[in-house]
Formats: sequence, C-alpha cells, structure tokens
Amino acid sequence: MPANLASTPKNERVYTRQLAFIAAFLLPMGKLLEAPSILARSAQGDLLLPAILHFLLQSLLLLSVLFACSQSEQTLLERLENKLGKWTVLFYVLYGVYFLFAAVLPLLDMEKFVYAAFFDTAPSTFSFAVFFFFSAYACAKGFKSIGRSGDISLFLFLLPFFALVLMSFSASDFSSLLPLFGTDFKQSLTAFSDSTPYFSDVVLLLPLLASHRYKKNDGVKIAAGYWSGAAFTLLFLSIFYGVYSTIAPRQHYAFSKIAQYFPALNVIGRIDLLLVYLLTIILLFYTVLPLQHFTELTARILNTKRKALISALLNLALLFAVLFLNRFYNLFHSLIERKLSLVFWLVADLLPLFFLLLPKKPQKRRPLYA
Amino acid sequence: MQDNTACAIVYADGVVNKEALGDLVARPLSKVSFSKNEGGRDETKEDFIKTSLRFPELKTATDFKDAVKEILDGNSALLIDGIKTVFIVGAKMPPTRAVIEPPTDVAVKGPREGFIEDIKINMGLLRKRLKTPNLRFETVRVGKQSDTAVNICYLNGVADNGLKDELLKKIQALQIDNVSDSSYIAALISPRKHSVFRTLGTTEKPDVFAAKLSEGRVGILVDGSPIALTAPYLLTEDLQSSEDYFVSPFAATSFRFLRALALLVAIFLPAFYISAQLFKMQLFPLGLTLTIASSVRELPLSPSLEMFVVLLLLEILKEASIRMPKYVGMSLSVVGALVLGETAVSAGFLSTPAIIIVAFSGICLYTVPNFVETGSILRWLFLIVAGSVGPFGIVLFSAFLLYYLLSADVFGTPILAPFSPLLPRDLRDSVLKYDMRTLSKRPRFLRPKNKTRLTEKE
Repeated sequence: MPANLASTPKNERVYTRQLAFIAAFLLPMGKLLEAPSILARSAQGDLLLPAILHFLLQSLLLLSVLFACSQSEQTLLERLENKLGKWTVLFYVLYGVYFLFAAVLPLLDMEKFVYAAFFDTAPSTFSFAVFFFFSAYACAKGFKSIGRSGDISLFLFLLPFFALVLMSFSASDFSSLLPLFGTDFKQSLTAFSDSTPYFSDVVLLLPLLASHRYKKNDGVKIAAGYWSGAAFTLLFLSIFYGVYSTIAPRQHYAFSKIAQYFPALNVIGRIDLLLVYLLTIILLFYTVLPLQHFTELTARILNTKRKALISALLNLALLFAVLFLNRFYNLFHSLIERKLSLVFWLVADLLPLFFLLLPKKPQKRRPLYA
Repeated sequence: MQDNTACAIVYADGVVNKEALGDLVARPLSKVSFSKNEGGRDETKEDFIKTSLRFPELKTATDFKDAVKEILDGNSALLIDGIKTVFIVGAKMPPTRAVIEPPTDVAVKGPREGFIEDIKINMGLLRKRLKTPNLRFETVRVGKQSDTAVNICYLNGVADNGLKDELLKKIQALQIDNVSDSSYIAALISPRKHSVFRTLGTTEKPDVFAAKLSEGRVGILVDGSPIALTAPYLLTEDLQSSEDYFVSPFAATSFRFLRALALLVAIFLPAFYISAQLFKMQLFPLGLTLTIASSVRELPLSPSLEMFVVLLLLEILKEASIRMPKYVGMSLSVVGALVLGETAVSAGFLSTPAIIIVAFSGICLYTVPNFVETGSILRWLFLIVAGSVGPFGIVLFSAFLLYYLLSADVFGTPILAPFSPLLPRDLRDSVLKYDMRTLSKRPRFLRPKNKTRLTEKE
C-alpha cells in the first residue's frame, strides 16, 4: 500500500472559508448550463420543485459528511485509513474512477456551450482543444490552488451573476411559474431523476472535506455556503423560466443569452457577453474540479509527486475522448441521464454516508504478541 | 612631517575629496613630528598619528589586500615611514547627482525626493524618514569585480525575520562578476525565474520605501542603483500610488479603480477587437459594426495581422522615443503620428479603428507605470490567443493566468493576496483605500511581528 495515502501537506490544506466559497460560487456554475432546460423539459413551470428536492437531499448528505468530520480531530481520510488499513486504496480507486466518469458530461456540455456562446461562425473541431492545456496545468496543482480558486470566485461570481439577473428581470414573466404544482408530480420526479448528474455535486467537495481538519462552526459556514449556492441556482431557474416559459426546454446554455433582451444592449452592444465571459472563468474552474480530484487521488494511489505527468496523460486521453464522444453527444447525454444516474446515486450520494460509520477515535491495533 | 618623516597618500583619483585630504590630513601632518611627542610617553607612533589627525573616519589596515580594497572603494591610504600599519582615511567623494524627483514616479502631491545612485545618500534619505534605532541595515558585498554594497533594510520588531534571513541568505550566495543595478539582484534572487510577473516591488521614492518598511516589508538598497527593491511583492501594489495616501479615501479608491480599469482596457481591448471581428461580431453594437465594416472593407490585411502591425508600430515608436535624443523627439512624433498613422490610413494599409484602439490601449497602460513591461507582453499574448481562438481563447488564457497567479507564492506570500487567499481586513488597502484611521493594523500577509501600527489616544 502506498505510504501516507491520507496525509495532506500542511501548505496544501484548504481553509473553511474557501470550502464555503467553493460551495457557494463554484458549484452553482455546473447547474447553469444544461440543467435548467433539462428540468424544464419534464417539470415545466414546476422546475423549482425537483431542484429543491435535489438541494434537500444534497444538504442532508453534506450535513452528514460534516457531522462525520466533526466527530474527531483526525481528518476523515486518516480515520478511513485507520479503519480500512490497506483496503483504503479501493476507496481511492473507486472515487478516482467516479471523478473521471463524472467529468465527461460537464466537458461535453462545456464544449457545446463554448461553440454556442463564443463563436458566430462555425468553429473548427479543435477550437475547444485548447481547453485541455488549461486543464492539464490546473490538474497539476494541488488542493491549495483549488481553495484559492474558491476565494477568487467570490469576486468573479457576484457582480456578473447579479448583473445578468438584473438585466434579465425586465424580460421575466414570473407568472409562468404559477400555479405551483401545476405539473404532474410524476413529471417532476422524471425531471428530478434526469437532472441527477448536475445536482449530485456535494461529492466534488468530498476530497477537500475529507482532508479537512474540522474546527468548531466549520459545518455552519460550509453549509451556509452551499445553501447560498442553492439560492443562486433557484433564483436563476426562476428567471430562466420567467424569460423563456414554454420554450425553456429548448434553451440550452441559457445563461449566455438570458440577458440579451435588456433594452440598453441595442445601443451599447452585447456587453452582457462580457459578464458571461467572466462567469465562464468560474465555469472553467468548476469543469476541471473533478479532473483535479482524479489527478490528486491517482498521485496518492501511485505514491508519486509527478502530478504533471498524470495530468498530461489524463488530459490527452480526455481530448480524444471528447473528440470521439462529441459525435454521439445526444446519445451519451440520454445514456447518462436515463441509464447511468444510478451511478451518481450510489457513489456520489450514498457511499459518502459510510463516513458516519467510522470510529470516532483511532482503533488501537492489537499487538501481535501479548 | 616636521621631522622629515616621509608620508604618502594613495588614492584613486576622481572618487576622493582632495580638499578634505589636504585640510584634515596633509596640513595637520606637516605640523607634527614624532620627536615632539612629549605628552604621551606611553603612546605608540600609530596612536600619535590617530590623535594628531582627528579625522572623523579613520581606520587601519594591516593587510595589503584590505588596503587595496579600501582604495578601490574610494578611501585613501596614508603610509608613514616607520609604521607598518596603513591608515585608511574615509575621504571618499564619488561623483553623484543631486537628489531630484524620479522621472518614473512623479507625484502631484507629496514628497518629491528620489533615490540616487549613492547608497550612503539613499540610506540617509531613509534615515531622515525613519528616525528609529529599529531601522537596521545589513550589508553584503556582491560582485567579484564590482564589489557592490547591497543593503538589506528592515524595521527590527516589525518585519518578518524569516523573510529577512531568506533574502540575506540568497544575496550572500550570489556569485556574479558585476552588479550594475538592483534589477540584477531582483533577477538573481527571484524564486520564479521564468515568470512574466515581477516578484519584487520597486520604488525610486524614499517616502514610499519608508512606508513599505513600516508596513513590515524588507527592503534592498543596491549601491549604484536609484531603484530600491521591496519584498514581498503583491500584484495590487502596482495599482497603488504614493499620492493615494495624501488624498481623500474616496478619491484614492476611485483612482485605483480607474487604474485597474485602464489596465484591463490596455491588455484586453486590442484582443477583444480582433476576436469580435473574426469570431463574435455581436460584441459590437450595430452602428459600430457598420462603421468598422466600412473602414476594414478594402484593407489588404486580416484583422489580426492589421492589429499586429499597428501594435508593433506602437512598440517601435515607444522604444525609439525613449532612446532618441530629446531634440529629435518632435520629428519622431510628426513621423509617427502623421506620416505613419495618417498616411497609412489614407493609403488603405491600416484602418482608423485599429489605430484608435492601439493608441488608447497604449495610453491606458501608462496609468500603471510599474506594470508596463508585463502589460505589454500580456497584450501581445492575448492578441495571439484572440486571433487564433477568439473570445474563448481570451477567457481561457485569463483563467490560465489567474490560476497561475493564485498558485504563485513569492517569498511565502501569495501574489494575489488579499484577494486570494482572501484576507478581508487587508482589502481595506488594496484596490479599495479606506480611511487612515481604519488601517490600524499592519497587513496580515506580511506576517509582521508587531501587528499594530496606529493607536489613537482617548
């Protein structure tokens, strides 16, 4: 078994504030691309309902993990290693594979979004390929950089997001959201199930939380961050349906065009796109997050510090995967939404509850010779 | 001497105060003799000379090498027949210029003194502002040929000793022939050797230098250089000016925002212009789109190549105007602005919007003078990226730079602090500038030993 599987160097630790900011400003970005149209497809005016259900379940999961964290001075990873011994590596392998799997859908969405929001002309197939240079660089960095990207997201998120929301207000008709529960509940459940890959995102905090040494009130701060992110998402979903109403299911990557009906833009040009571009920077941070986790876990499993090599190989493989899957985008999308959402339920939402079973204090190993 | 004892003074001509040597060494020596040394029977010849000269800076050297070193440093060696010891007379007077306002850091309000090339005068200018015994200078000699004095300055009890020791260690370890300027030291001790961004702060003003030392930074003065270095350096420092502290906080904050905006315009405007033309016309309002379309319709160059040419012209003009003699400068302006600009547009080689954009970008960059070199390189890089991948390239490269910066620690301090990692209290003097009374604590990212810098008596 690799040595020091659970240990995180002191200068690589993420602060509570940074975890809260990642939950508040980074995680919502994953729900602004395709999730609104997927929710509207089945739930229509009730799209907030499945979203709220997701947030309730994810909050429960987050609170459970935070509770598990609060039970010991040791980190969850250290306690896991104490409990499972050499079998801990299986846990790392499982989550490594999961993060790789979970990264593909956001990557494909990101590619489509880039072609839609950044190009008037038909872009070349390789226009998106440059993304992998950034991804390779970001993946070679450690937890410290992820934490700091949370900090900087505060400045990059708030102003553009609320400016876009304000600009969209004039075109919103919130009566489209009424009556509440106007859609068949089964439809809402379908929307809930279809959107699982987008809302199962507490797991993206898991490697950071599991390496975090819990202090008093950390849980409140991180949960408050997550709920703020949930509030931003719900606000956006309301405005999204308010603006597009019945044509909402066909409005992909809506956040890039939701403010285009703001009257002043006719005179000054599409400056809303500059706000979208600022948010895209956070979206890029969000998209590489699972890949960063994969790289970190792989480096720990292999007990190597050559993260740059792992990252380069990973991104090269992903480049080809994206170029290939791009042709089967719709098929892959429906496969993930309809058939493979169970993977998200099991690995992202249920398995982390295992942390609740970890003993509070490290188990003393029984000496071989009494 | 009166008793005909032979004496000689050895000095390097041009760096010695001969008048002082004549008045304070030659004249007193001519009036004394060893034979008249009646008062001090126990006094050696060496002590007798020392008491006779009463020169304020007088020391001795017993080693030939030391004596040569002192002479080359500008001091004079006094040799007296019958005494083995060489007397070193500190009468050096290297050629210096007057203390004037630095041309790169002009202030409308506030002190106008600037550092010069003499380290002693620079130390004096600093002492004038920090009259505390806690102001410490640690001198290191660097350069096998130049033997340049490098001073590490800090406020004892305020600055982080770890940082001071790290800088001292790095400077002591330097093995170089010649140190012509502080930029040599900055380049050699930089922890990020291939970075586009600076890793040490620079200033030519003693008031700014003193203020930075008071905050808890460590400074470096190099003999022969008017530019002082400070560590740690943060990116936000470039947006700050010494004047911000002499005007109201509202004015200072608005100036800083203006500089930040100008910097963004300088770096991104040319890139967005060509990426909008090539990939995303929607970024322009309709009226502007039509204007641009009519001006670029018959251009022989592609938008990116046109912008490349105009930007190259700007850089060449800039370089030429810095190095060209002043009396030719006027002709250069005429050639640059009229012949190249006006004629190129009327001949149909370049378009008016491109020239306006590059000119505006060039002016904007100079609102942050310390960022000109970096900003200029970044502008080129963004131009290349925008011409190749369009707005997505700009966004992606911005994300890349941001990630690079937020991962970068220089001498243990994150270069993007206080934004990332977020230090809310330190934001009060970043792009924002709060009232002086609310800045009672020293910046946290400097890890000062004494955290409080302002207390108000009831």
